[in-house]
Amino acid sequence: MKKTNLLTAATLCLALIFTSCSKSDSVECHECHIAFDGPNGEIEVEIGEFCGTALEDVEAPGYSHTIELTVVDGDTVPAGTYNEIHCEEHADH
Amino acid sequence: MKIFILSSFFMMSFFTLFSQTKGIILDADNKPLNEVNILFSDQNILLFSNEDGEFVTELDIPNNSYISFYKDGYSSKILKYDSGVELKIILDKLHIILDEVGVIESYSELGNSRLINIEKKSLSSQNSISMIDDIAELSGVDMISSGLGIQKVVVRGLSGMRVVTYLNGMQINNQQWANDHGIGFTDLGLSEVELIKGASALKYGAEAIGGLLYFKDAPFIANDKLKGFISTGFNNSSLLSNSKFGVKFNKKNLFFNLYGQYAISSDYRLPDNTYLFNSRFKQNAIKFSLGYRYKNWQNIFRGQIHTEVLGLPGHVHGDPSKVNLTEITSSELNLSSDFNPTRPTQFVNNQLLIYETNYMINNFKFEFYAGHFINNLKEYEKWTRPAFDLDLSNTLLSPSIRYVSDKLTLQLGSQFVFQENKNNINDRLVPDASSYNLGPYVLVEYEKNSFGINTGMRYDYKRLISDDQVLDVDYDNSFNSTSFSSGLYYRYIDHIFRMTFSGAYRSPHVSELFSDGVHHGTNRYEIGDQQLDIEYANQIDFKYQWSNDHLGFVLNPFIQDISDFISLDPTGSVISGYKVYNYMQYEKVEISGVEMNLHYHPHQLHNLHFEQSYSFLQASNNSKHGLALVPANSIKNKILFKFNDYERLLKFDDFSIYHIYKFKQDSYAEYEELTDSYNVINLQIGLKFSSKFYCSLGLNNIFNETYTPHISRVRGVAGGVPNPARSFNINLKYEF
Repeated sequence: MKKTNLLTAATLCLALIFTSCSKSDSVECHECHIAFDGPNGEIEVEIGEFCGTALEDVEAPGYSHTIELTVVDGDTVPAGTYNEIHCEEHADH
Repeated sequence: MKIFILSSFFMMSFFTLFSQTKGIILDADNKPLNEVNILFSDQNILLFSNEDGEFVTELDIPNNSYISFYKDGYSSKILKYDSGVELKIILDKLHIILDEVGVIESYSELGNSRLINIEKKSLSSQNSISMIDDIAELSGVDMISSGLGIQKVVVRGLSGMRVVTYLNGMQINNQQWANDHGIGFTDLGLSEVELIKGASALKYGAEAIGGLLYFKDAPFIANDKLKGFISTGFNNSSLLSNSKFGVKFNKKNLFFNLYGQYAISSDYRLPDNTYLFNSRFKQNAIKFSLGYRYKNWQNIFRGQIHTEVLGLPGHVHGDPSKVNLTEITSSELNLSSDFNPTRPTQFVNNQLLIYETNYMINNFKFEFYAGHFINNLKEYEKWTRPAFDLDLSNTLLSPSIRYVSDKLTLQLGSQFVFQENKNNINDRLVPDASSYNLGPYVLVEYEKNSFGINTGMRYDYKRLISDDQVLDVDYDNSFNSTSFSSGLYYRYIDHIFRMTFSGAYRSPHVSELFSDGVHHGTNRYEIGDQQLDIEYANQIDFKYQWSNDHLGFVLNPFIQDISDFISLDPTGSVISGYKVYNYMQYEKVEISGVEMNLHYHPHQLHNLHFEQSYSFLQASNNSKHGLALVPANSIKNKILFKFNDYERLLKFDDFSIYHIYKFKQDSYAEYEELTDSYNVINLQIGLKFSSKFYCSLGLNNIFNETYTPHISRVRGVAGGVPNPARSFNINLKYEF
């Protein structure tokens, strides 16, 4: 009987250990970039971190962002106004 | 009014007249068999024999109810209950205990398994990697997946809308037309899945031209004591944690089952020790079943809520085949962030409500089924704005009558399905649309001695309406056609022959008719065609089975012709950085193949089992070369040793090795690539610490093979994203 209770307790503990809790996100902030279609694939030009309503604005249709001529890892992105903005994360860690 | 109905419902119990049904189960030497499962299939109630082999229930069991008797290691039996006949059942020792060869007789929801080619897979195994992985062990079955999060079944090379899924009698529609939309529920509380390959499942709809999967819950238990379990599982590939509980309660004529589940997973590890970014997922589910019997009248209510948060791995901008694997993988897991949803992500919310009732009198069973399934799918590529937010509701009403005599079974019924697809935002890939489908059917089965025949016919009328001002769609069309299935069965000593000829049709889906936009889950710009029409399928399926005490053999060749096959093909153009794909129809597609199963165990070691299955499939398209997403041919091997007849050393219960060899796939569509052959081997060890506490340990992909199945959802990304690397899993279950 004692053995059974111990096994029950052990199983319950394992269940609790393996069960993670999710975090609540209050104000979301994310790095955003212009996705420029370069000759060797997409070039990402970082435009900073946006939070809350600013993030909503930058992701809204019609939003555009103006940059000077920028060089990213040897690739040149011309100066201009771009509306292909992405704020999702990429596998970069 | 509600109070009156509820009061009436519970007051019925006071007027219930109790009777007893009892019997005894013996082995061939007249020794009592304990713990035999006695399943009253029509009532969905399970009880067990005691140490004297006896069982007793005070439930009213109507005559002609099907009762199924089964115990691991013994032949099973099905009989029709007759209150005037003593229930004395003899079960013979059976050495071939794995049922993938289909030699064990058992009750099937999909029909008489002697007459129809129905395959089954138990879902109660503790050794499972995932439910779909388990089902994919069946010959002719594969899966489209990207890790353990998104998985869906492929039957003989067909999937999506062509493989229809039922859960406890309810058709599951969850935008399954796309490969990034999984099956829509978990294995929580399920006991078994039945599968019909091809277009023979008339009772459950004409559109299952690829096959039909019928998942069913574990039955109610007739037992005065509260029964239940808690279980937990862990897989180190993605740090998957999966915890469940279940309780079963019975008081007289009232039965109640309750289950819950929580699962969370991070990104899975590849053989090169990197992690496929955003292959993470979370799942929660809770479900209940409430059964009530009054004499011959049975009522069951079921409810289920299931939520999923699924990452969409392999997301790129531009041509996915040109990216490098390092762009979509991470070198390490960040435990503080890599369990959290990122983008793109699907948020899925499924709600299911079912009411089923039946009344049995004399040779008749009257059934009525009502089910309502709501699927909400939100797909986010951006953080603050969904790309889609779709509600798909599905209502099914199905009355039927079954007449059973000694040799004849007749079923008449009809299905009425109402479906509504509604967008909650203006961004949309498919328009608002609704459809209703009426499908009356008749099925006849006749069995005499070792000969049987079945035939059935179904007529479907479907009307599809779309009036969507956002996408400027105004469509109103109806589709109707007849489907049929006829089969012959003959048994000669240990040889069983089965032949089925069936025909079915599938009307085009709204996604195929009206899609116009970027589908982030598939990295495509998809364009539908409103001129698409019905596709028709005809299949001939022959199955030969032979088995004795030590050897079982199944040969199952088939051929299927599908005319006006609807397909999604690349156009060569690009919109918004995504390749454009058009829906179109091929004049004729032919799918043929053969499946073989072999089961052997040496006479000296009855607990050692060797099982092999071979699946060979060829798909041809007479208007273009190759067909997309056709799985490679395969050989699957399983060696299982059960320790149940031995003094258990170190608490070992069973040990198994599973090996799959996939051949090279050199028949492919023009936008696919050749896929190399590969071998994968998994090991499982089951440990039974007591009759209530079970543990399984598994080692998957033990040689750390780098492989990408031809039909992987991420086969076309970065030259093919490999499946998970070598990993171990541990599952614990405690029953009370």
